[in-house]
Amino acid sequence: MKGAASEASALLVERARQGDARAFEQLARDVERPLYRHAMRMVGQDDAEDVVQDALLSAWRSLSSFEGSSFRAWIFRIATNRALDRLRSRRRHPELPLDPPGESDDDRSWAEPAATGPDLAEIAGDREALVIVEQALDTLPAEQRAALLLRDVEGFAYEEIATITTVEIGTVKSRIHRGRLAVRNALVARGWKGPAG
Amino acid sequence: MREPAGAANVVREGGYATVHPFADLSAYIDDALDPSAKAAVETHLAACAVCRTHLAELRGTARLIAALPAPVPSRSLVPRVSVPFWLAPIRTLATLASGAALFLFVGSLVLSGLPFGTGGGAAAPAAAPAPNAPNAGAPAGPVGAADQRTASTASASPAAGYAVNATASPTQELQRSTDATKAVTGTAAPAAQRGDKVTTAPVAVVYSASERPQLGPSPWFWLVLAVGFGALAFVLQRRLRRA
Repeated sequence: MKGAASEASALLVERARQGDARAFEQLARDVERPLYRHAMRMVGQDDAEDVVQDALLSAWRSLSSFEGSSFRAWIFRIATNRALDRLRSRRRHPELPLDPPGESDDDRSWAEPAATGPDLAEIAGDREALVIVEQALDTLPAEQRAALLLRDVEGFAYEEIATITTVEIGTVKSRIHRGRLAVRNALVARGWKGPAG
Repeated sequence: MREPAGAANVVREGGYATVHPFADLSAYIDDALDPSAKAAVETHLAACAVCRTHLAELRGTARLIAALPAPVPSRSLVPRVSVPFWLAPIRTLATLASGAALFLFVGSLVLSGLPFGTGGGAAAPAAAPAPNAPNAGAPAGPVGAADQRTASTASASPAAGYAVNATASPTQELQRSTDATKAVTGTAAPAAQRGDKVTTAPVAVVYSASERPQLGPSPWFWLVLAVGFGALAFVLQRRLRRA
């Protein structure tokens, strides 16, 4: 899928590591939008740009320490950490709402569809479903949200997500599942009847 | 906590208990199960409609999450870490130019001996190119040349100056011109005063009015230039430090 692209990227990474600022800027431009999309769903619109800019700058400064194989995973790790830090510092400033209770609510059960409710698929199609998905994501614990977004939006493999979020792969697995289940439950509670296709 | 959840996952199928592999369904979708777990899930799915439904729902959920509209940043978030190669030399040149312009500003202010804000600008245009202008009324020789310069730098009334000068004796004329040259070249103020004393009073008045040394443009021009170059150097320096 991206053999040539990743080769070119590896070349850029190597040049950037040797101090080529232009090579780094090219790399940064390539990941700028995915990073922003990730940061925005993690911390919201107000802080997302700051998080990405901080992450990219800090990546440039610590580029010499980058030894992994995937620059993309590495930069997402930095950005995800920044985002989680931002959320933690918000928690210390109580004018902002707290995160929902963390992963202590183990084994989320499968909520059954509301007895009466409009069928989303028939009424508004995916557009309304997407709004519900967005809202449901916002209510997830930050770590679950990060894992789920890294998987479903950014397409990282479980191993990569484990590296990015520095947890065991089993934790990644359960975070993704719980997160998805919570979103599914939110959809079902609003009358979603499952995928149309 | 585990107990009710576990109990909920237990179903009876054909007389024996089976546990729904709910927790593995997401990993199954993502192809993140090891082969034996994957085979177990597949076996179960073949026999369990509940799990097939859940699997479809989870898959649909993942697809919806992936289909979320992608927000776009309002500005470029790429830090500008590279600097054009010409930035540093231009910064240095701008700094030097600013210093030079500032020096010229102070120098021309001091030389013109003016209080701030008067005259300099008005007299400026006539100043520099004057020396070679033809002047029929002036005597020949070096004295005449010096006189000519004095006259043409006078913005107020050169004619009056000449009228008085014409009545002065040649020696007076010579000394005055010499002193005037000294004053123009910035030698000393006393010299100019001495020269003024030698001539008659009206001449002295006209003379001092005409004697402003104009080093090219107005001092304020140099100040503006100094500020401009200074600002440029400042901006470039900030840009360099950010990188």
